[in-house]
Amino acid sequence: MIGFAALALLAGVLVSLSRQINGRLALSTSAWESSFWNHIVGLGFITLIAIVFGGLFAGAPQDAPWWAYLGGPIGVVFIAAGSWLIARIGAAQTALLIIAGQMISGVVIDIVMGMAGNAFARIAGVALILAGMWVARSAKD
Amino acid sequence: MSNPVPAPRLLYFTAAFGAGSLLSLMVLFNGTLAAYGSLLFASWVPHLTGTVLAIVILLTLRPRRVGGISRPPVWAYLGGVVGGVTVMLTSATMNTALALSGTIALGLAGQMLFSLFADIRGLFGLPQRMPKARDYLALALIIAGSLVLIFLGGAA
Repeated sequence: MIGFAALALLAGVLVSLSRQINGRLALSTSAWESSFWNHIVGLGFITLIAIVFGGLFAGAPQDAPWWAYLGGPIGVVFIAAGSWLIARIGAAQTALLIIAGQMISGVVIDIVMGMAGNAFARIAGVALILAGMWVARSAKD
Repeated sequence: MSNPVPAPRLLYFTAAFGAGSLLSLMVLFNGTLAAYGSLLFASWVPHLTGTVLAIVILLTLRPRRVGGISRPPVWAYLGGVVGGVTVMLTSATMNTALALSGTIALGLAGQMLFSLFADIRGLFGLPQRMPKARDYLALALIIAGSLVLIFLGGAA
């Protein structure tokens, strides 16, 4: 359990690490080019893993709804945005605001998709996040 | 909302918040893909379609290369490998006692701790910056709100 907790923590560290590496590349190239390299190098790496371990086409991916295939194009914009932001507002503020956006939009998506949830906790959570954004927004560099 | 805020700062703010919303959609789409195909497939396909779109964007927009800083170091091209390892780690821990909520919560913690460390030290050639008391207050509020949503926001 402790071991898995350490892995989950490490995964978060790696999210931040890859944004910093992509941000460094964007400093010498551009945010779009950095996103391109992130995707093509990642594609090569995953293809290699798939060749070694197999199972890439397991299951019934052809039955997935068409919109499930839109994650890639969205990711290109997401990685470019992160690479662009990190050099301008720093790693911590980039991460914090992305988390805020992810959490609040997550609540909206859950409500739109009719997922059951605790309304009080949703309101309290969103209110805390908005308060944090307000505090961050009024801070000066 | 009466604080005088310079325009670029608001732009960065909106962009980062918007990027977080894109991330939510990405998680939803890729997660749906993983429900039908393998976890590997759900990471491989978005990288493939993403690469194609990135090429189209580079060819049409032809973004200007920033001149100031010299050639990027070789390691700067390896962000995609780190991203690939991340996908594997999270899919490994999601199915343990940590579950999705624990995986996300610990992921947020790891992300914030390492981001702060990187800012304070100015790692990887990125600008060094010292977080102020206000930044830590914002951090505490946003992380507290996130934990409330992760652990209490689901169906009771």
